[in-house]
Amino acid sequence: MTAPSVPRRILTVSSGLAVFLGLSVWLGLSIGSTGQNLREVFALLIGSAGPDETLANIVWRIRLPRVLLAALAGATLSLGGLVFQALLRNPLAEPYILGISGGAAIGAIIGILLGLSRFPGVALLAFAGSMATLFLVLVIASVRLSLKQDSLILAGVMVNAFCSSLIMFLLSLTQDARLHNILFWLMGDLSLSDGTQTLILAACLAPCFFLLFFMARPMNLLLLGEEMAASMGVNVRAISLVLVVVTSFMVSATVCQSGLLGFVGLVTPHLLRLLFGPDHRVLVPACILGGGAYLVWCDLLARFLPAQGELPVGVITALIGAPLFIYLLLRAKR
Amino acid sequence: MILQQLKILLLVLVFLVTAAEAGLVKDQLGREVLVPDEPKRIVSLAPSITEIVFALGAGHLLQGVTQHCDFPPEAGALPKVGSYVHLDLERIVALKPDLCLGARDGNPREVAEKLEALNIPVYAVNPRDLQTVMSTLIEIGRLLHAEAQAEVLVAKMRGRIEGVKARVATTQVRPKIFFQIGIVPIVSLGTNTCIGELITTAGGHNLAAGPTPYPRFSKEQVVALEPEVIIITSMTRGQDFEPVRDDWYRWSNLPAVRNHRIHIVESDIFDRPSPRLVEGLELLARLIHPELW
Repeated sequence: MTAPSVPRRILTVSSGLAVFLGLSVWLGLSIGSTGQNLREVFALLIGSAGPDETLANIVWRIRLPRVLLAALAGATLSLGGLVFQALLRNPLAEPYILGISGGAAIGAIIGILLGLSRFPGVALLAFAGSMATLFLVLVIASVRLSLKQDSLILAGVMVNAFCSSLIMFLLSLTQDARLHNILFWLMGDLSLSDGTQTLILAACLAPCFFLLFFMARPMNLLLLGEEMAASMGVNVRAISLVLVVVTSFMVSATVCQSGLLGFVGLVTPHLLRLLFGPDHRVLVPACILGGGAYLVWCDLLARFLPAQGELPVGVITALIGAPLFIYLLLRAKR
Repeated sequence: MILQQLKILLLVLVFLVTAAEAGLVKDQLGREVLVPDEPKRIVSLAPSITEIVFALGAGHLLQGVTQHCDFPPEAGALPKVGSYVHLDLERIVALKPDLCLGARDGNPREVAEKLEALNIPVYAVNPRDLQTVMSTLIEIGRLLHAEAQAEVLVAKMRGRIEGVKARVATTQVRPKIFFQIGIVPIVSLGTNTCIGELITTAGGHNLAAGPTPYPRFSKEQVVALEPEVIIITSMTRGQDFEPVRDDWYRWSNLPAVRNHRIHIVESDIFDRPSPRLVEGLELLARLIHPELW
């Protein structure tokens, strides 16, 4: 981290990824189940739009909320992965694997069953669920006194399994049309994203993104070890608490709208770390922009691959992420 | 039951009052929907609605239907807008409909709301049994200016239902019926369901009668109930049902097995609240009381 100064690196990496995200969004707006309209959408975007009202409706009011939600969810989950990997000093940590998404899911499903509105009712229950599972995972893992070792992942997997059985139980109680709702939501489904709700989500997430960006330096120091960080003037306990609460809040706010999207927080941080090095001051904005672009691409694949209907995007993220998880696990063991 | 009837009556009254206003009508979700005077481009959001629109002779108005809309055969050739629980908004909008006909149970409410936000009126109907299929025929008939055709269809349906009732009334025998709609797990239907009512109307005793709409059974429970007739249909299409029937035939002391009264029926005329439901009723009555025909 000597050659170019840090602010300049942040700027170059961010602007590069921002362009990539912009291109991905353009593609996301241009391709849908009724075909591709790359040129027309480009014309729409630069303002010299044709008079076709139907296409404008499809682009602005159906595809745009969906692409925005994908970008937000990708950013949040990637950032969530990054934070937990630094906080727990474990390359395999990720909101989905740690059971946080599962906990949020239970809260959200209870909310849906109770007939609460997506926001704030379902979101609050999802938040409570994710905090509860995170607490449980940390307690189980810390009993084994090795927070950074595999026991954490093991505890996460166990809590996740417990969460899925609870979800199955809740599903077996449900017999009406809400069942389909919940099933699609569990597989991660962006097709019903709503413009206003996506904007509310964005408003909730933006301060979190900023906060995490300003905590990038403490995160760097945390990676060196808690004692080291403390000796460099980091209030480890306070910082950890803030990181955990902010991240859980972000993840549950997102999950209650996007559904369960596994492994996003694993794929992007590792990829970006590989490309841009371990400095969190670079990685935080990179995760927001790159993670957003990644999920926009996954969503594109989900819409594009099947000939009939569409795939839930969670299926794509898991298909890409799970093999990577296994690869990382094998490499870590070596 | 009485409360439900009152509710329906109230809805009908509200409907009659609001129908007088030009264009603004109240649908089965209780929402005010601005229906065009002369709907020309309709998208149907459920197989049962597609069948109703075709039965009313208004099939030519349909621009799009759902994935499983396969009756009448012409419906299968129309553009598809996803499955009725997972609709593809973009395809619906691209068809530029001036009216969408949705099902209250099944279509996600969010889709209706999104379509409304895009200025596409969604009129929700709620056909679920013989009675409501007939009222839906009248309701959609009014929207599409096919009142006369609707009246004829309803009169025909009513006649056929009365026919079945009259025949069944000639006997006191009420065979014990087990109607199986799910294979793994075994699922049947309770009293207040469409098929539950069909069984009773067709002169059978529904073994799954009770307040639970979709009760689950273990094999042991079914055997203990000693069904005299087992009827198998499945919501899971494209599956092989012969193995399920053969599996029941292993229980040789079941009355249904001894008398070879295990039947596989096409699920579409039972689980789709369309005018064909009356065919389901007639088929059921013949299977339950073959001696009367």
